[in-house]
Amino acid sequence: MSEELLRRTFEVRGRDFESAGETSTDVTSVLKDIGVDPDIILRVGVVTFEAEMNVVMYADRATLSFVLSDDEITIEVTDQGPGIPDLELAMQPGYSTATDEMRERGFGYGLGLPNIKKNSDAFALESEVGKGTRVYSSIRLNVDG
Amino acid sequence: MDEFTHGFRIDRDRCEGCLSCMRACPTHAIRVRHRKAQYKPDRCIDCGVCLSACPSHAITATTWSVEDIGRFKFKVAVPCPVLFGQFPRGITPTMVVNGLLALGFDAVWDYSVDVSLAARAVQQYVEAWKGAKPLISISCPVVVRLVQVSYPRMVNQLIPIQVPREIAGREAKGQYSSRLGLRESEIAAIYITPCQAKAISILQPAEDAVSHLDGTLGITDVYNGILASAMQEKRGGSTPHSPSIRNSTFLRLHVSEGLGYRLAAHRHLRVTGLSNIIQVFDDIEKGKLRDVDFLELYNCWTGCTGGNLTVANIYVTRSTVHSLVSHLPRMDAETKAEVDRRYLGEDFLLQQRIRPRPLQGRTGSLKERVQTLKQEEATLASLPGLNCGLCGAPTCKELARDVSMADATKQDCVFLSKERLRELQRVYLRRTPSP
Repeated sequence: MSEELLRRTFEVRGRDFESAGETSTDVTSVLKDIGVDPDIILRVGVVTFEAEMNVVMYADRATLSFVLSDDEITIEVTDQGPGIPDLELAMQPGYSTATDEMRERGFGYGLGLPNIKKNSDAFALESEVGKGTRVYSSIRLNVDG
Repeated sequence: MDEFTHGFRIDRDRCEGCLSCMRACPTHAIRVRHRKAQYKPDRCIDCGVCLSACPSHAITATTWSVEDIGRFKFKVAVPCPVLFGQFPRGITPTMVVNGLLALGFDAVWDYSVDVSLAARAVQQYVEAWKGAKPLISISCPVVVRLVQVSYPRMVNQLIPIQVPREIAGREAKGQYSSRLGLRESEIAAIYITPCQAKAISILQPAEDAVSHLDGTLGITDVYNGILASAMQEKRGGSTPHSPSIRNSTFLRLHVSEGLGYRLAAHRHLRVTGLSNIIQVFDDIEKGKLRDVDFLELYNCWTGCTGGNLTVANIYVTRSTVHSLVSHLPRMDAETKAEVDRRYLGEDFLLQQRIRPRPLQGRTGSLKERVQTLKQEEATLASLPGLNCGLCGAPTCKELARDVSMADATKQDCVFLSKERLRELQRVYLRRTPSP
């Protein structure tokens, strides 16, 4: 049984491109401060950033919780948004429902969820249309972070 | 006197403990203890801000003096292009070169070929790169150290191609040793530097390799000598006509274009000024700059013309260099042929990888490190949050961090300790005004 060492919860606002990326930066700077392996931080950075951008682009609001245990880091993002009708399609690299405006900002190329999965050791995606989506990612730590 | 392993020294006798440097330092590397400034060597990036911020002139750059170069048999000056823009109208590059010779140098190196070689190697590297973007130029050593210290995740984005001054040092030593039959160790390649950061990058390169240059003189150290020699030359009216700069590549590098002219097909940003650079790096970390291929960044405003060992006004320098550039060809056949020939035969990669610089951080197991982070957060919550600096740390957050690492105590805060306030009164009010 792994021991929980640190838990942080962040509120992410949907459609707020101005502060997009801040939660990811907050999470990674805590990890930097504790001296976690830079390669792990990089993966956590990608997972939190992509998850955060999905919220910013599609949802109204979300809660991102981040838990550091002695053997893993878990990130869970639960949003209140439109939900995803076809999960399998959403996981296909390149599939996107982004608008032109989002693409002009350099986002919405259909790589967000696949990127999260690629950087996770364990990954789960649940969604209910009209209600929201939950993304779960876990990244294993080496001995001593 | 406290010697920095960096490009500075702090004169403890001159330091008044006024907190100016501590407040100005962008990486929060300075603490003031017992009314004297100290620094955390692992955090210092050699930007030179403290040097200009100090009202007592207690912080000075450590470069060589003209006398130091005497011990070498043959001395080649490798002048930063900025040097040529430092002098009043009427003093030509040839006079500047003659001034360097008058100071005791045996030769002066025109490194337009080396600049072109570096530019070509960088271009090839950028075009072949498949990893994370943007790539970052390593021309400015402060930028390299900033990445190593504050943005360690980006070290792989630093372009591992030697900078022109290093390629120049290697070539100058090689050429003169074969031409004169001397050993390379008998030849000194001395860089004439616009800032102390480049001086320290030669003494202690970021990638832990050995520099091809042997030492540095600040522009400030050679300015008066060159000016005197040039004035004499003007009075004598005997300026030799051999052109000392073959084409404008060399001068253009530091004025406006940087390496951007070679990378026109790529999205290239040239950013100057440390606070602007930090903003760009923060935006990269937040994923806001996704479409940029290449960053050319300089710590000083307007680039190396603003270096802290320069003499002339930065805008006048730029104007002078622009005027010199307009009278020179962009490229000449002889230089181009040499670039083509050398490019095939030489290796321009850095000898070693640039790695993040280990910061003096939390120690112990992961659990213990998290514990000290939580202690730090608890300490911070008990501090006033005014960042007054009277504890000797620049912000309450830094004090909390110092406390968690057993490098300070909460009692250093004047809000939490009347004794600390009395001690400051004792130490700082003792000053007697000069008559």
